[in-house]
Amino acid sequence: MKYMILTYASQQDYDNMAGTATATPDWSAEDFAAMGAFMESFNKDLAESGELVETRGLTAPVHTRRIQLQQGVPVVTDGPYAETSEVLAGYWIVECDSFDRATEIAARLASCPAPLGVAQAAVADVRPIAESRAELDL
Amino acid sequence: MSITEIEDLLRGLAPQVLGAIVRRYGHFDTAEDATQEALIAAALQWPQDGIPDNPRAWLITVASRRLIDLLRREQARQRREETVAQWTLPDQRLAPAADRLVAEADDTLILLFMCCHPSLSPASQIALTLRAVGGLTTAEVARAFLVPEETMTRRISRAKQRIKESGIPFRMPPDGERAHRLGAVLHVLYLIFTEGYASTAGPSLYRTELAAEAIRLARMVHRLLPEDGEVTGLLALMLLTDARRPARAGPQGELIPLAEQDRSLWNAASIAEGVALITDALPKGATGPYQLQAAIAALHDEAPSAETTDWPQIVTLYALLLRIADNPVVALNHAVAVAMARGAQAGLALLDTLQADDRLADDHRLPAVRAHLLEMTGDRAGARDAYQAAARCATNLAQQRYLHARAARLIDDP
Repeated sequence: MKYMILTYASQQDYDNMAGTATATPDWSAEDFAAMGAFMESFNKDLAESGELVETRGLTAPVHTRRIQLQQGVPVVTDGPYAETSEVLAGYWIVECDSFDRATEIAARLASCPAPLGVAQAAVADVRPIAESRAELDL
Repeated sequence: MSITEIEDLLRGLAPQVLGAIVRRYGHFDTAEDATQEALIAAALQWPQDGIPDNPRAWLITVASRRLIDLLRREQARQRREETVAQWTLPDQRLAPAADRLVAEADDTLILLFMCCHPSLSPASQIALTLRAVGGLTTAEVARAFLVPEETMTRRISRAKQRIKESGIPFRMPPDGERAHRLGAVLHVLYLIFTEGYASTAGPSLYRTELAAEAIRLARMVHRLLPEDGEVTGLLALMLLTDARRPARAGPQGELIPLAEQDRSLWNAASIAEGVALITDALPKGATGPYQLQAAIAALHDEAPSAETTDWPQIVTLYALLLRIADNPVVALNHAVAVAMARGAQAGLALLDTLQADDRLADDHRLPAVRAHLLEMTGDRAGARDAYQAAARCATNLAQQRYLHARAARLIDDP
């Protein structure tokens, strides 16, 4: 069974990680490297256990383009998100034996090193993926 | 012989065996499966039984038998005489013996020309080259390009299907086409290298195994075509660029610009090899873009510091390069060299002419270069704004952190 693990961040969170002058909390070079190292070993473990299907991080919300019908015509607008609204920041698709196992994997993300306050505010969701029509028909 | 040595031997032989099999029997797709199985058999048997006297002939024999098995199975399943006719066309019967010795070099080259055929998209050319010539598994190629294995499997089989449909013959392109087709091969190797050297997304700056694979393949082509100046130039360029890798990022993975790198960390052996290659190639006939870029890289690598670099010479080389290829990134590098040789103002004037180029519109490099040059002129406020503008355009977090740090330095000590 496949599950998707989703994490969220706001433009402000991205700016903090990118080291902008007004960053609060401030991610030091050590913080940033520690997070990178954690993610690398987290992904490596998942790849080695054979549970990782794929994972991706998304670039900052400010690079978003939104397509929406306006008077019947699709119109493209730039980044529609407020500075502090949390949007999808990254995801993992894992294939594992149970919902509980997928939850256990997601829970490991809570130990990702981050400056004080960031970890407390962070959330991860786990959602089962609807399998293909062909598999449902079996 | 150790397991690693056997693996290296097998990877070198893989394209030769596949080439020999495709030359003899056609059926690129099935030939690849047969070759893979022969390689697996060798990897299992050789460490125990020892290396056969002629490893290449051994592999070709095993792969041929396997291919015939696979084709027979297919034939039995389809039970159609057309199939038989298809794989024993008269001209295929006239193909030279698969294990004749003189063909090794040609087969690897022909295979490269086939994988980099202009009817394939660049992404497919790269995937097929890594798989068929580089001997990487589909899973490895998929991981290197951060796509799911299923996607890569589909991309590779579509590419093979394309080759089949287009009826590209397995032979050297005619003389008139050869230079153009070699250009495509070199471009593919260059793309593999740059993908490994500066990954475009994610927290990690490079995927070293791709850069190493590109260098290995470039070495192979150089061995096959030692007199081609652009092949030599490309190999030299890769070695001279890769030599700086140990100094390119700090302990926390942050980017360090060329001028501030600890040059004692550069790989002296790679630099010596690259310099020797390009020094040998330059005086021999037509000078192409890879040789020019290698010559520029050599000037950087040989200088003890940024200040003592031969900037006027670099300006000349970039001007030559601009004349061959109208490329905004080359123009940007030219502007930096001009600033170093004749002062920041001269460089900034050139940047103004680039501002209108649409190809650089969303690129962080133009404002980043402007920021560096403004900092050189002492315009701290202007430099700070430009660094921040560059950070807004950049998508790589490591690059963003570098640009913000440069901007912050200009606030802290006014």
